[in-house]
Amino acid sequence: MSGGTRLENANPVIFQRSLERLLTASEADEDVHDPIDDREIFDLIRSINDPEHPLSLEELNVVEQVRVKVNDAESTVSVEFTPTIPHCSMATLIGLSIKVKLLRSLPDRFKIDVHITPGTHASEEAVNKQLADKERVAAALENSSLLEVVNQCLSIRSI
Amino acid sequence: MAAGSTALQSLVEEFVSGLQDSKAKDTATAVKDGQFSVLQLVEALGLSLTSSQPHTRARGVQLLSEVLQECYGNLTEREVEVLIAFYENRLKDHYVVTPPVLQGLKALTRCTALPTGSAVSMLRSLFQDVHVQSLMLAERSCVYSMLINLMETREAELKGLGADFVFGFVQSMDGERDPRNLLLAFQIAQNIINRGYDLGKFTEELFEVTSCYFPIDFTPPPNDPHGITKEQLIQALRAVLAGTPKFAEFLLPLLIEKLDSDVQSAKLDSLQTLTASVSQYERKDLAEFLEGLWVSLRREVFQTSSEKIESAGLAALTALTSCLSRSVLNSDSEDSLSTFLDVVLKDCKHHLCEPDLKLVWPSAKLLQAACSASNRASHIIAASAMPSLIEQYNTRTQCSHRRTLLEVVQRFIQSVKTSQSPGNEESVFLAFRQSLCSMVFSALSETNSSLQITATSVLTSLAQQAGLLLDSDIELAVDHLTRLLLTEEDDRVSLAVVECAGTLAELHPAAFTTKLIPRLKKEMFSEPMEQGDNSSTASELHSRHAVRQQCLSALAAISIQPSVVQESTPVLLEVLSSAHTGSVGFSVEEVVLACRSLQRIAEQVQDTEEAGRCFHDVIILRLLSLALQAALQGEGSSGRHSPLVEEVVLSAIVPVISTSCSRLQPMFAGQTASRAVSLFLDGDVSFLPDNSFPSNIQLLKKQQGDSWTQSQMVCLLMGCVCSLPRSVEVPQIDQLLSQLEEMSCSCSHPLSYTSAAKCFAALVNKRSQGDSLDSFIQRTMKRVCSELDSPSSPVRVQAFTLMIWVAKALLLRYHPLSTALTDKLFSLLDDADLGPMAAEGFSLLMSDSVDVLNRACHADVRIMYRQRFFSENSAKLVQGFNAAPQEKKSNYLKALSNIVNKLPKQVQVTELPALLSLLLEALSCPDQGVQLSTLSCLEPVLIDPPPALIQQLEALVSRLLALVGSPAMNVRIASLRCIHALSRFPVHEILPFRARVLRALAQPLDDKKRLVRREAVQARGEWFLLGSPGGR
Amino acid sequence: MKEALTLVHRLNAHPDSRCWFVSWSPSGTLLASCGGDKAIRIWGREGDSWICKSVLQDGHQRTVRKVAWSPCGNYLASASFDATTCIWKKKNDDFESLTVLEGHENEVKCVAWAPSGNLLATCSRDKSVWVWEVDEEDEYECVTVVNAHTQDVKHVVWHPTQELLASASYDNNICIYKEEDDDWECRATLTGHTSTVWSLSFDAAGQRLASCSDDRTVKIWKEFPNEGGQDDLLWKCVCTLSGYHGRTVYDVAWCQLTGALATACGDDGVRVFKEDESGDPDQPVFSLAAQVTKAHSQDVNCVSWSPKEPGLLASCSDNGEIAIWRFHEED
Repeated sequence: MSGGTRLENANPVIFQRSLERLLTASEADEDVHDPIDDREIFDLIRSINDPEHPLSLEELNVVEQVRVKVNDAESTVSVEFTPTIPHCSMATLIGLSIKVKLLRSLPDRFKIDVHITPGTHASEEAVNKQLADKERVAAALENSSLLEVVNQCLSIRSI
Repeated sequence: MAAGSTALQSLVEEFVSGLQDSKAKDTATAVKDGQFSVLQLVEALGLSLTSSQPHTRARGVQLLSEVLQECYGNLTEREVEVLIAFYENRLKDHYVVTPPVLQGLKALTRCTALPTGSAVSMLRSLFQDVHVQSLMLAERSCVYSMLINLMETREAELKGLGADFVFGFVQSMDGERDPRNLLLAFQIAQNIINRGYDLGKFTEELFEVTSCYFPIDFTPPPNDPHGITKEQLIQALRAVLAGTPKFAEFLLPLLIEKLDSDVQSAKLDSLQTLTASVSQYERKDLAEFLEGLWVSLRREVFQTSSEKIESAGLAALTALTSCLSRSVLNSDSEDSLSTFLDVVLKDCKHHLCEPDLKLVWPSAKLLQAACSASNRASHIIAASAMPSLIEQYNTRTQCSHRRTLLEVVQRFIQSVKTSQSPGNEESVFLAFRQSLCSMVFSALSETNSSLQITATSVLTSLAQQAGLLLDSDIELAVDHLTRLLLTEEDDRVSLAVVECAGTLAELHPAAFTTKLIPRLKKEMFSEPMEQGDNSSTASELHSRHAVRQQCLSALAAISIQPSVVQESTPVLLEVLSSAHTGSVGFSVEEVVLACRSLQRIAEQVQDTEEAGRCFHDVIILRLLSLALQAALQGEGSSGRHSPLVEEVVLSAIVPVISTSCSRLQPMFAGQTASRAVSLFLDGDVSFLPDNSFPSNIQLLKKQQGDSWTQSQMVCLLMGCVCSLPRSVEVPQIDQLLSQLEEMSCSCSHPLSYTSAAKCFAALVNKRSQGDSLDSFIQRTMKRVCSELDSPSSPVRVQAFTLMIWVAKALLLRYHPLSTALTDKLFSLLDDADLGPMAAEGFSLLMSDSVDVLNRACHADVRIMYRQRFFSENSAKLVQGFNAAPQEKKSNYLKALSNIVNKLPKQVQVTELPALLSLLLEALSCPDQGVQLSTLSCLEPVLIDPPPALIQQLEALVSRLLALVGSPAMNVRIASLRCIHALSRFPVHEILPFRARVLRALAQPLDDKKRLVRREAVQARGEWFLLGSPGGR
Repeated sequence: MKEALTLVHRLNAHPDSRCWFVSWSPSGTLLASCGGDKAIRIWGREGDSWICKSVLQDGHQRTVRKVAWSPCGNYLASASFDATTCIWKKKNDDFESLTVLEGHENEVKCVAWAPSGNLLATCSRDKSVWVWEVDEEDEYECVTVVNAHTQDVKHVVWHPTQELLASASYDNNICIYKEEDDDWECRATLTGHTSTVWSLSFDAAGQRLASCSDDRTVKIWKEFPNEGGQDDLLWKCVCTLSGYHGRTVYDVAWCQLTGALATACGDDGVRVFKEDESGDPDQPVFSLAAQVTKAHSQDVNCVSWSPKEPGLLASCSDNGEIAIWRFHEED
């Protein structure tokens, strides 16, 4: 990750990780249906690795729970993410990782929308349009070097 | 000795010319036996040693060296002297000769009979004539070993060489690459440093020749036979570099440089080495590098995301500060500690005041690390940081900020705790006592839960600071805690409050006994004024119950000091007696909670005479009395019976008694036991308070019209006699056993006959070895078997219960008769009625029982009884399974999973491959209990799969995927976890299953339970990465 | 609504992957589908259902995005993300790979045969549209590369009667091309959509062009005579259908037999619109005649009217399925 090239954002601010979700009585109850909620989606994406720093998207505040909106009944999920700096060249890659994680983790019925928090990136429209184009996304994921980077972001990292 | 010399000559010939290596051993043996002397050998070697062929000379020397390796212990000083001279001479010989020369010298260095001066002369020759780094690995190793040996035995002499020794060593080591040799070389360097060798002007050279390896970057080759780890090298080098203050001027700049590296392990090594070295240094060693070190440490802690690096950085800061604190204050020298801490404070303090507190944690941690270094440091830092923090807290309004600030304060208090020396030094926080208290109390009065919880931790820490809080502070704290106990609705806050109360009560009991307990009692016993139609609404009832629950829990938590116990236990007993008489409306659940509180107190109170009397003379007797009253009442006239006849209540009373008996004052426990026995066997009620009992009570004998309320009292007997320490004897034991056996086989009330059986079994378990015990057992077995063998017997279940408990009792103590019972249990797996119960029985055999037959009750429990049982019976189980008819097979599977589930993990892993096919069958068994226990014991095996399992992949995958659709949530979760574990198998084995697994796991992503979905996501994610770029 | 869209049959065409496109053979007897599993499947009618007649597996290294039948029905062209276009020749019930057209820099998004059968058009993410000529010996040669778009070109379609080509792009525009001196040039750029234009379809006469977009609308364009006799063509948007589709409209198909307009949408729905008879041809009015809101369990990628059987409509989806529908009068 850190090699000869300088990082764009060499000294990112690190945020505290939130605590694990506490188990509730209804979650343990066999017969109660637990709808998919914002926290659940957030838990799916918070540990995605940033491609450049040995940190998670949550620790860099790239994803926050308040920017996740899910509607289980209508099968829609929307995630807003905030690149660390306005000219972050990794924005598309980060968005793609989030999208792929959700595609692999959510039932097929869901319509997934991933976009940049408005006002936080210089090319947010262009990036959002790419992320919304499923044909572009599918083609990108057939590219093995891109897939490799995405998979690395989605793997569990150790120190 | 002409003949001897011929023999010697021929040996020499054969070795040197004939190249027969084995002759060296023969020669050595001959020398050891005294057939020849070593010097004779040297003479016999004469020709070889003067040969013009270097290889011949080498062979000659080799023979001598190998003999010396065996015989060095027997040499005389004279012989050694000659040999050394010889060898030193040979060091100048052809390079082919050098290896055996070194071997020989190494052997000589182990001689105890080394003449004075020979060590020095050996080394001089060595350093002069040998260029160590040109030698091969083994020879270099030889040289190092020589040095180590000589340093062990000839220290003074070597020191006489002065700095030349160090110089010679440095030259030998310079450029060494082999890790094994490096470990040896580092050892020598450590010795040089630690044993006071004169470094002379070679300090820097010694440093450089070792520090060039820093930081260690070593990956052991695969299948390394020597097993040298990177960590060993790191530790060995660190011991050298950090071993002396003389290296400080070289080491510290090196560390500062290496800290700047991008490589995490280099940073970590630097930090840890810094910490190790600084503990030896004094202020003057550090002085010029302090600023650079601080800048680096600060940078690391602020910027790192690695917890290891952060804690290493903080530890280094603590060590630095500690070192500075050690320096003695002279009137003319500046206070370096103070100066340093000024810098630290300047760089960190302002972050504590920033609006959004982004960098508050790294700064706070740095300050805390410095704080914990020494008392002086903590005073300086606290004096500066505390007012800042307190002011910040008071001016901010956002709850999350306040909470962060409280947490920072909390850690400050804790960090001081570690440095506080015991004694009469005043607390660092004395000046801030009032502000801190008002901070805490104001936070406790807020409604934000996290804030309140943090406040309780701070309160606890403050209370733990010796001599800080005044009595008035404690009383105010108790008021707050009381209020929260009675009104708080958030469970997490309540839990924190109870914990806090517990810690405070232990340190400052007075306020609790005078204020808290009476208040809690009043709340618990108050009931709404109006009865009748205006009865409480559901929510009021609920909150009253919640309050009572809190009070009961709090009463237990605070009862550690005897003074508190004396006040709290009567309240708990009063709950029970009021519930019994009905004077106050406590629910059964609340009565149970009161018993649990008593149990907890029994577990945590110190084992003193006072505590013993409290429990044995007051509490237990009261409990027995109340229970007996309830039992005798039976069904009351109004159709109401006392809660003390409920099974759940009695079962909660038992542990109060058994804990007291097992851990409080054996003598009193013995008394309790005797009283209980005389009550149950003879109807003696004289010792019970409220003595208005009839005189002809027969609790164990079955009589006409007696209800279950009386017979179930036997569980209390169990509590009294089954948990005693071995030293205490149970009186009238034979009679007791007979009656218990009778009751367990004839009574029809489940709690009664089961408790009787347990009691019987527990007594049998502790009974001393011998014929009387055996005959008891055999009698019982006979009776039990006769009942079990007649299918129409009305007491088959009772007999079974007795059998299983006795089997357990005997199994635990490895009694030979246990086999007969367990065999009977196996045979019952086929029984039409008792089959499933028998299968469950294995769970009972193997699990830890809660109230009897465990180590806490002083039962005779041998180690590894489960493994033993398993290895002796697994074949039987497999055979039985194979022979059983189809409809009985599930009993066997259940028994198997019950047994295997309780084995320790390592045993499961080694034993399971043998049972693999049976386990796979078990996965297809329709019984959910079997599925679940099979899955849970399969999971650890999948982490490190044996080859046999990999053969069975198809079967395994199919069954696991089928279980993913089970109606039971636990089964779905367990099978998903197994599928997740499967993803770690060798990629080429599982890749063919990938598409199928991914398809199958799409379904549970939409499971109605979140916990199932979570497992499915994790498993599916791993399978996606298989065989994919960037994945596995 | 007096009409209805009824399900005739459902096929699990491309298991474990998405089905991107379906296309009827000119005779209406065969249906070609292609998908993310890199395969092309040919389906034929058997009684009341369709069965798989053959699978063309090894033609491409990556997703096959679209397939197109030649007007004579003897050839099939497939466009793939592996940047190639494959030409298959029909041999009895099977297809043989005839040749592979290379040249695009990255994913080929569409391939289309001109009605004459001599020309082929392809388009790609490399922003270009290529026109190929095929001669009697089945030799293919690229005659023009046009770079009229500034972004990914999603779809190309030929005019039914004239030698006119239209393309749709990620740059939100539609381009119309005509040949001039052996070179194809963009003669009109149709702007109006506010997001990617995914697909295009001419009506039977070739007078109007339907387009569908990520902006959730369908637009109808009509050619107007160009005053001043310039070379450029003049196409104007004469109707916009908005408010019917919940998400991106991925495909639009104008039935050459009945004039009905079908759409495939990312909200899982298939819809059919009909033009009001009484409408002004320069301001046509379309209304929703029938819809199936949950036609598939995931996005619908393509709709295709049978060229021979009126009212028969094929659709395909991200869930790998093909569905056959009948659009008919309700009794």
